[in-house]
Amino acid sequence: MMERLEVLEKLAAVRTDEIVVMTMTATLQWPLVSHHPLDFDFLAFGMGHASDFGLGLALARPERKTIVLKGDGGLLMSLGSLVTLGTYGPENLVVLLLENRRYEMTGGQPLPAGPDFAALAGAAGVAGGGATGRGKVERIETLAELEAALPRILDEPGPHFVVLPVENRHPLPPVSHTDHAGRVQALRTALGVV
Amino acid sequence: MNGASARATVHIMKDLGMTHALIIPDSESRLLFDELSADPDVMVISPAREGESIAIAAGLWVGGAHPFVIIQNTGLMEAGDALRGCGVGPRIPLRLLVGWRGYPGAQAGKLPIDSAYTYTEPLLAAWGIPSWHLMSDDDLGVIAEMDRTAAETSHPAAVVTGHRFRP
Repeated sequence: MMERLEVLEKLAAVRTDEIVVMTMTATLQWPLVSHHPLDFDFLAFGMGHASDFGLGLALARPERKTIVLKGDGGLLMSLGSLVTLGTYGPENLVVLLLENRRYEMTGGQPLPAGPDFAALAGAAGVAGGGATGRGKVERIETLAELEAALPRILDEPGPHFVVLPVENRHPLPPVSHTDHAGRVQALRTALGVV
Repeated sequence: MNGASARATVHIMKDLGMTHALIIPDSESRLLFDELSADPDVMVISPAREGESIAIAAGLWVGGAHPFVIIQNTGLMEAGDALRGCGVGPRIPLRLLVGWRGYPGAQAGKLPIDSAYTYTEPLLAAWGIPSWHLMSDDDLGVIAEMDRTAAETSHPAAVVTGHRFRP
């Protein structure tokens, strides 16, 4: 089990011009390690849909990678999206599943213990699939493995679905309910769309 | 004649700049699905559920694309949180073509009335989503009006189709 903040630090250390879409508790900790115009806080934009939004962004902006940081509780709310990822996921989409087996945002209630999210993604067609037929599914257990794998994941064609078992021992900053329309306009401006 | 031409509808949406069509096949839009799928200029995406369609379309629009979401009223109801969070709340101008399941039966006085029919327009109104009826080729102009309204207001807008599309 990796400490989530350290996972985010590893990612921030190698991230350059990728879009980063994050949701739920990742929205509270990602700003501790990154301040980038292509960071996008998806909190309250639609339960379980961060990777769907990221899929749309990746399709619209093929010149750069889109990285999605989402939780396993969110994935349970939209499990069918794995099939969509396995069918249409483009090479520039990276979904990092922060697997803590809890609904942390609401107090840490447990998720069902059974689901193997990497196996589900594989069975949904992500492994060897996506729009490229080169989709990859992997599970990374340690920070050392993650540090070694991130340059490859950010470089090679995907789509990528990576399960990262995490825990969090740090106090969480308060939720920031900034203007949603403002977040959208800021990202479009950063992308040069407007 | 009841029902708009699928070919003419796709032609209009392409003239408006459509880049992607998010569509899960349903009874009303079956021929529209066929027409879109045969068009090499439009990327057709059929997600597993309509909430995904809304969120993918939102991401596409934020990234500079011009998607249309073709969705049955039943799917619209399922997609409520996505529509709230990825459309109405952040003022993303989603272009929606909503199939109005239950409309022909209700117009013919068939009982029981399909509850999907009953709640479609009140639901759109509750979200403040302006809507127009597309019932035949005579109404095809409403697609451009919907598209323009979405752009000008930066807010979702919808065309509601009461009959099955014709070829």
